[in-house]
Amino acid sequence: MLNLIGAILVLAAGTLAGFYQAHQFALRPRQLRELILALQRLETEISYGFTPLPDALERIGGGLKEPLKTLFIAASDYMSPDYGLSAEDSIRKALNMHWRRTSMKTAEKDVLDRLSGVLGTSDRQDQIKHIALAVGQLQHEEAAAREDQAKYEKMSKSLGLLIGALIVILIF
Amino acid sequence: MTLDWLGLFPESIRLILLKLPKAMLDHLEEIRIREERPLEINAAGRHHFLDRDGGLSLHPGEAYKPTREDTRRLLDLISNHSLYTMEEELRKGFITIPGGHRVGLVGRTVLSGGRVEHIRDISGFNVRIAKEIRGAADEILPFLLDRKRGRVMHTLILSPPQQGKTTLLRDLARQISYGSWGNAQLQWPGLKVGIIDERSEIAGCQRGVPGFDVGPRTDVLDGCPKAEGMMMMIRSMSPDVLIVDEIGRPEDAEAVNEALHAGISVIATAHGSSIQDIGGRPALSALVQQRRFEMYAVLCRKGHERSYKLYDGGQRTLQTAGAGPPGGDAYA
Repeated sequence: MLNLIGAILVLAAGTLAGFYQAHQFALRPRQLRELILALQRLETEISYGFTPLPDALERIGGGLKEPLKTLFIAASDYMSPDYGLSAEDSIRKALNMHWRRTSMKTAEKDVLDRLSGVLGTSDRQDQIKHIALAVGQLQHEEAAAREDQAKYEKMSKSLGLLIGALIVILIF
Repeated sequence: MTLDWLGLFPESIRLILLKLPKAMLDHLEEIRIREERPLEINAAGRHHFLDRDGGLSLHPGEAYKPTREDTRRLLDLISNHSLYTMEEELRKGFITIPGGHRVGLVGRTVLSGGRVEHIRDISGFNVRIAKEIRGAADEILPFLLDRKRGRVMHTLILSPPQQGKTTLLRDLARQISYGSWGNAQLQWPGLKVGIIDERSEIAGCQRGVPGFDVGPRTDVLDGCPKAEGMMMMIRSMSPDVLIVDEIGRPEDAEAVNEALHAGISVIATAHGSSIQDIGGRPALSALVQQRRFEMYAVLCRKGHERSYKLYDGGQRTLQTAGAGPPGGDAYA
């Protein structure tokens, strides 16, 4: 009897792990899309609104879903004069604190890292070019993420169950 | 004295400045930062180079040399991380930061159609610390009142740069607006004051709200060209006294004329060390010859000593006086 309960637990754990992995594959393109839209909004705020960077990030963050919302708002908070941080430091700090809550990978983080070094440091045309470049790179990542999702989402679900089954078989 | 401006420096430079003696820090007038060249400060009319430990010296060799990273951070902080919002400021060559302090910038200019479009590769900064010195105008204000007609006289304040024109102007605005005339017998109420603050120096406006106390009856037109601003003020805000900094162009003189004819008292400043100096500038000399101003105040300063001379409209000397309140560089 105890054996049976153990086997069911292992199977359930394997299945859940598989579903979690599949969920991550589904979330990544969704968050990437949201990030791209956010950067495009930032471009508009800079080119037409002349909005200062901290205000723009806060405003954009307010309209986003978690976990990107916290990321943007934290970056904006760190830019307040109390911290004495530069824009680059503020964004890096927010990335280090909150990136792990997203489903995105290091490739996307690198894009934002590079962007943080130039945000706010040049005239509008220059800013727009840098943001467009970052958006381009993210779109590339998004396409790859969608491919991964198509390839691995279902497979992860089955794989979780199968690995659970394998462990049960090996144990007994 | 608040040191709010210290937060705008990158840490390396802030730590050096914090090692300065308190008295020196309170009397700082300028901090000059040039990339890869010695860090310089101006206090009480004298310049010093600063070494890594906050030590003062006149020899540039031992001084701290701000790095590229320092200047990059400084620019980031003073522009509120948003240099792209500063296009107009970069065209003019300075940024006004919270507290009314002004940061002059040099670098490589980008031209468009023969005019400066903006500044790139900014490598030199001059942080001018604005000071609000209440009572800076105590000495001069009583002479500017026309007691018979109950108004303030048309006044031109002359001085070379860095002698305290703007500080004096700010205090005049405040006292006229509050109605504190420095004379217990005078029971005049405060007057409506209009300030045209082209370079955001007099009132130190942030988002349109004055950073300095310029009085309860004072309206400030921030960042507006002087000539146009004077006309706008006259038309829309019905001021009793117009206050304007650094006039000199023909259209400024025209606007001053317009204001005088509208029955508004004008207090203006101009660069120059004597009335003769401005004779060489056509727009201003016409105003002088037509006796448009009823009073001239000439400021001068030698080290800690500060003094002023007053002349009437016919350029006769009325009063010569030494320092006002203690703290020789009150007009910094």
